[in-house]
Amino acid sequence: MTPESLHRSAAGPSADLPRRRAPLLLAVCGGVALLAAGVALLTRHPDDTAATAGQDAAQEASRKGAGGGGQRGAFAGPGAAPEEEPPPPRFEEAVCWRELERFDTAVSMENFRAWAAPLLASGDSLVADYLTERLTELIGNDADRATEVLTWARDAGADEFEVLLGALRRSEAVHQGQVTAKMLAQGMDTTLEGGRRAGILSALDTQKRFEPAALDSLKTFAKDPVAGEAGWAATRTIARVMKRDFEARGNVAPYMDALLTIGTESPDENIRYLALSTPMHATPVLDDQARARYAQVLTQEGSPDGREAAAHNLSVSGDRKEVLDLFSQAFGNERDTCVRWALFRFAARAAGREALPVMAQMALADPRFQPLYQIFEQLYASGHHDFVRLWTNLPDQDPFGCLVGHD
Amino acid sequence: MPRLFRSARSAMGLLALTLCPLLPAGARAAPPEAPPALRASTCSVRGLMDDIRRGLGSGSAAYKRYLRTLLREAAVTLPDAELREAFARETDPLMAEHLAAALVARAEREADLTAMDAVARRAVEDADPAVRAATLRAMRRTGALEKTGDLYERMVRDESPQVRQEAATNLIEDNAHVYAGQYGPAADTAVAAAAASNDPEVTARILDNLSTEKISPESAERIQSLLRSDDANVRKAAVNALGGVPAERMQGSREALLGMYREEKDPGVRKALLQSIAQLGFEGAIPDLQRLRAMDPRLAGEADAWIEVLGMGLQEWSLLLREKQRLQQAP
Repeated sequence: MTPESLHRSAAGPSADLPRRRAPLLLAVCGGVALLAAGVALLTRHPDDTAATAGQDAAQEASRKGAGGGGQRGAFAGPGAAPEEEPPPPRFEEAVCWRELERFDTAVSMENFRAWAAPLLASGDSLVADYLTERLTELIGNDADRATEVLTWARDAGADEFEVLLGALRRSEAVHQGQVTAKMLAQGMDTTLEGGRRAGILSALDTQKRFEPAALDSLKTFAKDPVAGEAGWAATRTIARVMKRDFEARGNVAPYMDALLTIGTESPDENIRYLALSTPMHATPVLDDQARARYAQVLTQEGSPDGREAAAHNLSVSGDRKEVLDLFSQAFGNERDTCVRWALFRFAARAAGREALPVMAQMALADPRFQPLYQIFEQLYASGHHDFVRLWTNLPDQDPFGCLVGHD
Repeated sequence: MPRLFRSARSAMGLLALTLCPLLPAGARAAPPEAPPALRASTCSVRGLMDDIRRGLGSGSAAYKRYLRTLLREAAVTLPDAELREAFARETDPLMAEHLAAALVARAEREADLTAMDAVARRAVEDADPAVRAATLRAMRRTGALEKTGDLYERMVRDESPQVRQEAATNLIEDNAHVYAGQYGPAADTAVAAAAASNDPEVTARILDNLSTEKISPESAERIQSLLRSDDANVRKAAVNALGGVPAERMQGSREALLGMYREEKDPGVRKALLQSIAQLGFEGAIPDLQRLRAMDPRLAGEADAWIEVLGMGLQEWSLLLREKQRLQQAP
């Protein structure tokens, strides 16, 4: 039997979105790493701006990378002194900028764009990071400055756009209501191209919470068939803010409602998958309503990835008997190997060793699960309780090749 | 212009003082300043050190961070001898930390296999505790722990409390962030250091913050022997550490902790015992917790909270911890 690839569902109208799927499942990441592809969507890097700044910036970055002169340490600018002796081939030289100290001392909102331009053009990513952080300092908690930077973002080139939005995202001012409102409006402004809107909406992901009106407009926008890439970014932003609000205040229901609505109503399979899978990062214990909606996804969603995400989220739930029954039934009706594997392992996450009889039934129905059943049984017999530790002790976390082949 | 500043300051008094940091920026903005002649060039040890030394006075944290990162990035292609000499000569702790970090970066990227030794030697031998502490900080969140032998057992016995604490921080952060709690030898190094230290604060801090999921049987024994420490904080930390031991040690740890509960007088340690017993047994610990609840009325609420949370049937320790916290914070 050929293992099913999760990657197939990335095909479709917006399959070329940047970094939709993470290639690697890190066993050491605990619960978050349990599902599979896409798990790194929220955790990839707390300060990533490549994705934050939208597709065009990411494409630009990859273009530069391909050119060989744009990556960290690879630059040897026009003024670079000739190398006296070639360094070992595996190490690229970092760039030291003359007069950067003067730049740092005298840079201001008035001259930032002009002065930063040659640094950005060099493709030196270290200095680009510095520019982003320096601009965050210049913005501070000043709403007018933040708004000005947002205005610059309307016509900025890819590299500059990335710096501007990265700086805004980390600024104090981004939390001011008027700035948030302007970013929301600009992020949904259809006169801007999709990548730019996506970058702006992504930069809202540092918000501490969304008020109901903002959440509602993001939700409506994200599931709109024309939202495309910006809808994907809006969905991810909702999920990231949900995680923060949940951890700080325990507030999760409005976000779950928004994500489940997007996850069941968006015509874009990738956006649906993102909406259905991302709650796993906050890992709320599902209430009755969310459990019922995910149960519906498990049986009705056309994309195997979406069904797998439903199994993942259902595994932390207030009613393990109901979940075990649901998984048991779904396994029988499921034809996709990767979803079956999800139902099998998440049964253990839902109910611990109490799931073993259900898992034994699954292994009877599909003998490929026999050896896996024995491993789980043995791990429980050896004293394990914690599913995360059980998972890290599996000899093979990807027995059906469900995690390979993602870009 | 200086005169203007002075008169403004005298006229406006205290207000002007608070505005003072803004004035130079305003003054600069008045005549548009010529843009800096930015030019990419090859990095040198001396140039970088000069930049960093001057940059320390910069008001921009972003610039300081950039210089620190740049030195580490550039380290692999900087002349080795020059870098080592600069490190050996440097007596300012902050600068020594930068240079040590550069040498560690060289070792990490295998540009220089002995660079770590030079740094570790200085951590042990420098006469200035501030330099020893700084050198240790330079090794933080790297693979230094695997390449420095018994360094940490020595550093946790350093005469300076600051150095001992820096060593503890390295052990904690390296285990958590470099090895994600999944590398037994790194955890064993931390346990060995915790046991070797005569500073109860250091021992307790290491054990309180360490994943013991992959420790060796010897390490588990060491921790278990600390259950008899005179220091309540050390006992409490040892109890915490035993909650997370490998599966094959769980039963033994559970028995040790249950046995200890009866004799233990400190309520903080008893509270930790309840938690570790919960961790070692999940739902299976509920009967034990019900029994212990009756032994100490002061902790009945705590035991009840654990019993309630374990009864939710969640299968991950981090979720159980979270839900217990939420339960106890609920209005």
